[in-house]
Amino acid sequence: MKQFHLLPKDKKKEEKVSGWILIAPALILLIIFVITPLIMAIYRSFFYFESGPNDSYFVGFENYAKVFQNEVFVKSLLNIVIMTLLIVAFQVIGAFLFANILVTMKGRFGVFARTIIYLPYLFSGVIVGSIFTLLTFYNGGVINGILGNIGLDPIPFTYDTFWAYVSIIVPTLWVGSGYTTLIFYSGLINIPKDYYEASMVDGANFLKRTWYIVLPQLKNYFVLIIVTLVTANLQMFEIPMLMTNGLPLNETMTPVLYLIHVRANGNVSQSEIIASSIMIMIFIGAINAIVFALTNRKEKRAS
Amino acid sequence: MSSLDLNRGFNKKEIPLKNKIIRVLLYIIVIFVLINIFLPLFFAILAMFKDKKEIFSAEFSIFPINWTFDNFSRLFYLEYTTIGVNYFQSLFVTLAVSAISMVLSLFINSIAGYAFARLEFPLKRTVFAIVISTMFIPGITILLTSISVVSALNMMNTIWVLIIPGLSSAYNIFFFKQFYSGFPKDYDEAARVDGCNSIEIFFKIYVPNSLTPMVIMGAGTFIGYYNSYLWPTLTIDQDHKGLTQIMSLIYSLFNDQSTLGYGAVLAASVIALIPAVLVFIIVQRYIREGIALSGVK
Repeated sequence: MKQFHLLPKDKKKEEKVSGWILIAPALILLIIFVITPLIMAIYRSFFYFESGPNDSYFVGFENYAKVFQNEVFVKSLLNIVIMTLLIVAFQVIGAFLFANILVTMKGRFGVFARTIIYLPYLFSGVIVGSIFTLLTFYNGGVINGILGNIGLDPIPFTYDTFWAYVSIIVPTLWVGSGYTTLIFYSGLINIPKDYYEASMVDGANFLKRTWYIVLPQLKNYFVLIIVTLVTANLQMFEIPMLMTNGLPLNETMTPVLYLIHVRANGNVSQSEIIASSIMIMIFIGAINAIVFALTNRKEKRAS
Repeated sequence: MSSLDLNRGFNKKEIPLKNKIIRVLLYIIVIFVLINIFLPLFFAILAMFKDKKEIFSAEFSIFPINWTFDNFSRLFYLEYTTIGVNYFQSLFVTLAVSAISMVLSLFINSIAGYAFARLEFPLKRTVFAIVISTMFIPGITILLTSISVVSALNMMNTIWVLIIPGLSSAYNIFFFKQFYSGFPKDYDEAARVDGCNSIEIFFKIYVPNSLTPMVIMGAGTFIGYYNSYLWPTLTIDQDHKGLTQIMSLIYSLFNDQSTLGYGAVLAASVIALIPAVLVFIIVQRYIREGIALSGVK
C-alpha cells in the first residue's frame, strides 16, 4: 500500500475539515436542544400567552413586572438564598475540616473512609427524599419514634419553619458533602511538601498553617467548589419536593419547585412561567458574579 | 499519574499527631461520620421488611416485629394497580436508556474535546466559547421551550426524547479537552508520518489511552440519566407507561402512598439504588484522578 507523507499545508487543510467534522455532532445538538430553547424562552418572555404561543401578543417587560409582583415566587427566591447560604457554608467548612482529618488517616481505614463518603453523591434526589421522609415523618417516623420511646415530644418537621429547613438541609448535605470532601482532600495532598516542612520548623500550629499556607494554596478549590455548589443548590427541588413540598405556607418553596407547581395546576400563565425561569438564570448569574468578585478581592488583599 | 499518588505530601514525619487523645478523637469523628452515611440506608432497609401497619405506627421499634416480604411482592403487581407500570420493566428501560445515552454521549463529547484540544480549525475559539457558555444556562430556564422543540421534532413519548436532548454536554467536552490537552504530542507526529489523518489518530492513539476520562464521564453521564426525574416525567405521558423512567415511577409511588403503602416506596427506592451502588464500585478507583482532571487548578 502506498503511504503518503502529509505536507504541513495538507495537514492544516485536513485539520480544518476534521476539526469541524468532530465538533459537528456536539455543536448541532447544543444548538437544537440548548441554544434554540434559550432564544425561544427570551423571545417568548416578552409576549403574553396562556397555554400556547399561537394567540400571543407583545407585552414588553410586563411578564417580568408580574414576576416581581408574585409574592410566592419572590418568597421562593429569598428561601433559596437562605437555604443555599446555609448548605454551602456547612458543606464547605465541614468538608474542609473533614478533609484535614482524612489526610491523617493511614492504611486501609483511611482508604475505606475516603471511598465510602462518596457513595451518597450518586443517589437521586427522589430516592434520597423518599428514604429521609422515613426519618422525619410526624407519626412514627424514625426520629419521632425514638423521641417517643424516650418520652420526648415529637418534632413537627413540616409544620415548623426551622425543622422544615433542617429536613431539607440535612439530606442535601448527606448527598453532597462526601464529594466536596474528596475535592478538598485531593487539593491538600497536592500541596508541596516543602511548605509543610517550613511551617513545622517555624512551629506553626494547625490554625496558623491553615491560614497562611493551606487556604492561599487551595484558593482555586474554594472558588470552584463554592460556585458549583451555589449554582446547583439554587436550582434544587427534588429533596424539598419530597421532604416538605413547600410547607409550611411556602416557607420552604424553592423557585424551581414553584415553577413545577404552577405548571401542573395552571394558575399562572405560561408566559409568566417563562419570564420567571429567565429570572432564575439572571439570579444565578448575578450570585455567581458576586462570588467571583468576593474571591478576587481577597486575592488582591493577600498580595 | 504520579501527582495523584495517595501518600504524596503526607507521611508520618509531616503530620506528627503526637497527642494520642487527639488521634483517637479524630478516629471517633470519622467513624461517627461513616455511621451517619449508613444510618438512613440502614433504617430504610429494615423498614422495608415491616408490614403496612408497623411502619409509622405509634409504637416504634428499629427492627421489624413481624418480618414480611409484602413490600417487595407488591412491586411485582404494580402493573395491575392504579399506577399501571411494571416496576422491573421500568428499571430495565431506564438502565437501557442510560447505557445507550452513556455510549453516545462519550462518543460525541470525546471527539469534540479532542478537536478543541488538538486541532486548528476556523472559528475554533468562538465555537468553544459558545459551547462553554451553555454550561451557565440552568436546565429550568429552557425546560418549557425545550419541550416545544422536542414536540416540534415529534419526539414526545418516544425513547429518543429521553436520550438525545441530553447527549451533548459542555462540561463533558471541557473535561475531555482538559484531558487531551495534557496528552503527549509525540505520538501524533509518528502517526502522521504513517499517513494517519486527525480522525484516525484520535481512534488509534487517543481512545485506547482514555480509560480514566471515559470511566469518569461515562459514570457521571449514566448516573445523570438514571437519576433524572423532571425531564422524563414531563416528556412521557400516562399513555406511554412502557417508557416510564424509574425516578418518575418512584415519585408516583411516593405520591400514592395510601394504596400501596410507604413500605413499597422504600422497597422500590432501595432496589433502584443498586445500579448506583454498582456504578460506585466500578468508578471508585478512578474518582481521585477524575477530580484532578476536572479543572480545579
